[in-house]
Amino acid sequence: MPVNTTLADASNGLLLSTLILYALAMLCYAGDLAFARHRVLAGLDSATAADATVTEAKVPELVGAGAPAAGAGTPAGGRSVVPAPPDLPSDMHGSARTSRWPSGAWMRAGFGLTCVGLVLHVAAILTRGLAEHRVPWGNMYEFIGAFTCMAVIVLVAAAVWYRAYYMGLFVLLPVVLALGIDLTWIYTPAGSLVPALQSYWIAIHVTAMIIAIGLFVFGAVVTTLYLLADRSQRRLAAGRTSWSAGIWQRLPKPIILDRLSYRSVLFGFPVWTFGVMAGAIWADHAWGRYWGWDPKETWSFITWVIYAMFLHARATAGWRGRRAGWIHLIAFGCLMFNVIGVNLWITGLHSYAGMS
Amino acid sequence: MSGLPADGEFRGVGTGLATPAQAGTPGMSDSSVVGSGRQSPRRPRRGGLGVTGWLRWTWRQLTSMRTALILLFLLALASVPGSVLPQEGIDPAAVTQYYQSHPALAPILNRLSLFSVFAAPWFAAIYLLLFASLAGCVLPRTFRLVGSARQKPPRAPSNLRRLPANASYTTDLTPAAALAKAAGLLKGRRFRLHEGDGWVSAEKGYLREVGNLLFHIALLALLLSVGLGGLFGYKANRLLIVGQGFANTPTALDVFHPGRLVSPTNLQPFSINLDHFSASYVTSGAQQDQPITYDASLSYQTQPGSRTRHYLLRVNHPLVVDNVSVYLIGHGYAPVFKVTDGTGKVRWDGPVPFIPVDQTTLTSEGVIKVPDAQPYELGFAGVFVPTAVTANGELQSAFPAALNPRVSLVAFKGNLGMNSGTPQSVYTLDTKGLKQLPIAPRALAAGQSMKLPDGAGTITYLGYQQWISLAITYDPGQLPALISGIGALAGLILSFLVRRRRVFVRAATAADGSTEVIMGGLARSDAAGGFDSEFAELSRQLRDEHEGRSMAASQTGDGTVDAADDSFDDDSDSGHTAVPVAAAVSGTLATTDPPAAANPEALTSQEKE
Repeated sequence: MPVNTTLADASNGLLLSTLILYALAMLCYAGDLAFARHRVLAGLDSATAADATVTEAKVPELVGAGAPAAGAGTPAGGRSVVPAPPDLPSDMHGSARTSRWPSGAWMRAGFGLTCVGLVLHVAAILTRGLAEHRVPWGNMYEFIGAFTCMAVIVLVAAAVWYRAYYMGLFVLLPVVLALGIDLTWIYTPAGSLVPALQSYWIAIHVTAMIIAIGLFVFGAVVTTLYLLADRSQRRLAAGRTSWSAGIWQRLPKPIILDRLSYRSVLFGFPVWTFGVMAGAIWADHAWGRYWGWDPKETWSFITWVIYAMFLHARATAGWRGRRAGWIHLIAFGCLMFNVIGVNLWITGLHSYAGMS
Repeated sequence: MSGLPADGEFRGVGTGLATPAQAGTPGMSDSSVVGSGRQSPRRPRRGGLGVTGWLRWTWRQLTSMRTALILLFLLALASVPGSVLPQEGIDPAAVTQYYQSHPALAPILNRLSLFSVFAAPWFAAIYLLLFASLAGCVLPRTFRLVGSARQKPPRAPSNLRRLPANASYTTDLTPAAALAKAAGLLKGRRFRLHEGDGWVSAEKGYLREVGNLLFHIALLALLLSVGLGGLFGYKANRLLIVGQGFANTPTALDVFHPGRLVSPTNLQPFSINLDHFSASYVTSGAQQDQPITYDASLSYQTQPGSRTRHYLLRVNHPLVVDNVSVYLIGHGYAPVFKVTDGTGKVRWDGPVPFIPVDQTTLTSEGVIKVPDAQPYELGFAGVFVPTAVTANGELQSAFPAALNPRVSLVAFKGNLGMNSGTPQSVYTLDTKGLKQLPIAPRALAAGQSMKLPDGAGTITYLGYQQWISLAITYDPGQLPALISGIGALAGLILSFLVRRRRVFVRAATAADGSTEVIMGGLARSDAAGGFDSEFAELSRQLRDEHEGRSMAASQTGDGTVDAADDSFDDDSDSGHTAVPVAAAVSGTLATTDPPAAANPEALTSQEKE
């Protein structure tokens, strides 16, 4: 069936709009980081003044080590002791009994733009698929578009579930960069699939990989923040200066970042494992062996092994924390090399990038 | 790093030397929980332990988590050259080419097995050590799991307020009645119970460890399945021109890699004939030249004399005969030539498979060897272009389909070297003993001839055929590998989703005559989070059942349940700063002594994923 060029063009336009919206959202998140507190101090925004006071109250708690949580029950004074609400992992701007939703104009704008951008992003992928009459992840252009979409989905989910709205700027930064490169250098016009990819397994294997990579992108960004925040914290503890301390004050404690990144790997790792296995089954259908050490397979294996190493390190005293964080970033580096480097520099059976 | 007692070991207890004494801590007496496993392997004193001591030390080193981590890293590192350098098992031609372009380096790399990394002894050493380390972890843990499944949960600690999750209130029931209700509630929630004087302790979530072990055992099984396939399976390739057929015997196969225990005379006796092949391509637009379909019509017999069946072989749709799978992995053109020698005799008449050198346009190269030609042996090196165009005076292919097929040939005479005893590739011409004939190559269309000088003869290009290449594999390890893979995945998910947790309830008569109920909870491994909300729910239910007078003692409010998700978590919370984290988790703890006995780290530190 021929490609529907109208839809294909629509898809391109939608993806470009997505990119612009994400970039605007980044500006808003950055504005939140930069101005939200000033606004609060100056009392300019009466509508959010209530939030503002709480922000003031909560910031020291989030950075302070082990200060009693805001709503901590009175310890054993009476006969009834209520479990204390634990240290909130996230929303700096919400009140102690926070709503799920972001607060503060900048943050609301940023999150709103992110959500609208995400809708357009999904629409771009859908129209591309409709234009091509196939699963829209058959080459590197489509693949990057898909896993960045997944990364934003993870961002929105983490924001709502774990109140990790503060991640917006940091996750959108690589997403916007990747989409920019995707739309310019890697762009591939809509078309049909080569015979090797004409299988229902593409919907299983590649989809799993996209989901896993989206989760891993999120995890790697959180881990980077964790390592930087941890470094800053240690510098301050050692009595030295840290230029970035102002940023980390507005984020949760490093340990909460660490936990968030761990959680994304906990989700991503089984999905990646499933994706590799699905790929093996497909390889068996297409090439006659389920594992042949094709460069892509080799790097999937390397990625898997190092993520496994991260999970083990994370559960081993003496390795958790910083060291596990670095292993996490190495694992992600291998993943990115597999997604991009192997496509560009190493020829193998997976050379579908459509860039030759 | 090495000296720290912090090196988690795979094994908890039962490693011998270390500290069962510690296990006396109230509530923590479950031996699998307390930390002897955290001792780093002790170096035996020189001359003190003898052979068994050293063996034991070595084994403990091997099975330590640090060694496992290093081996994992080495495994990843060792795989890298396999993806960067050409590999014999994947692309032997690329290896040959590498030898030519790096004549000095290649033999050194070869000696280091870097052209067959995944079959190299050092690669095997790494993964065998890793799997030994794994086995050393998994076996004792399996026994321990069985042991702890038989034992009752540990006694309740005396001070439940020190646990990371706790709640307390008063009720009018007697302590015994309150505890009976608690036991009933926990039993209903399928906790395992242990009841004592004034306390109930309950534990749940053994499936986590089951999942963990399943994952690791499945990995061992996966390795065995791969080995099984390697021993009893085989791989073969066969190039097949349209109209030709072959039987599944080693001599009829171009490449045959049998497993160690395969008897080559005893292969599945099918035969395959290629009736027709067609390929279609995108004819315009950005994706021009890209293939759309490959269809190979086969007829086959499962054994000599049996009924002939037909199969449309396509990529992603292998033919399965007798548990052997046949795959379409390549295709190309085979121009048909007729060579008449100087004496006027026809010395060659048939198709010669040419190998695509450009996958996009299928420009193909090949050679024709005519060793029987008289008076000279003849050899030809040719280029076949399916859709010929001339660009800058050069013959090029514009499209992969044969719209305007042409062949251009360079002719040689002399000694082909085929009787020298050295095996030769049919796709390359050894020009050492050959002399190029002085005739300008030109693009021949079907039916056109080239008359060779020196009375050497004539070559006629008659047309073309197509060929396909087939991969034929038999792998009895496939199904076991699939089952192992599914097992590993199931184990992984199970171990990530299930948390092992303990809930303790104490009830005692307070000074004013009422009954004070204290609940404490502890998640030993809460990777996916959520224990705190579970605990909150449990304590709320229990309080409701007790209908105590202190209804005001409310549990965590709605807004914080999710936050609780994040607060006390997985195997690893305490890695940074155990006490402040615990303090941040539970406001009550922040004001009490640093929890020595109930430090969550004591419970969580030695988990291994």
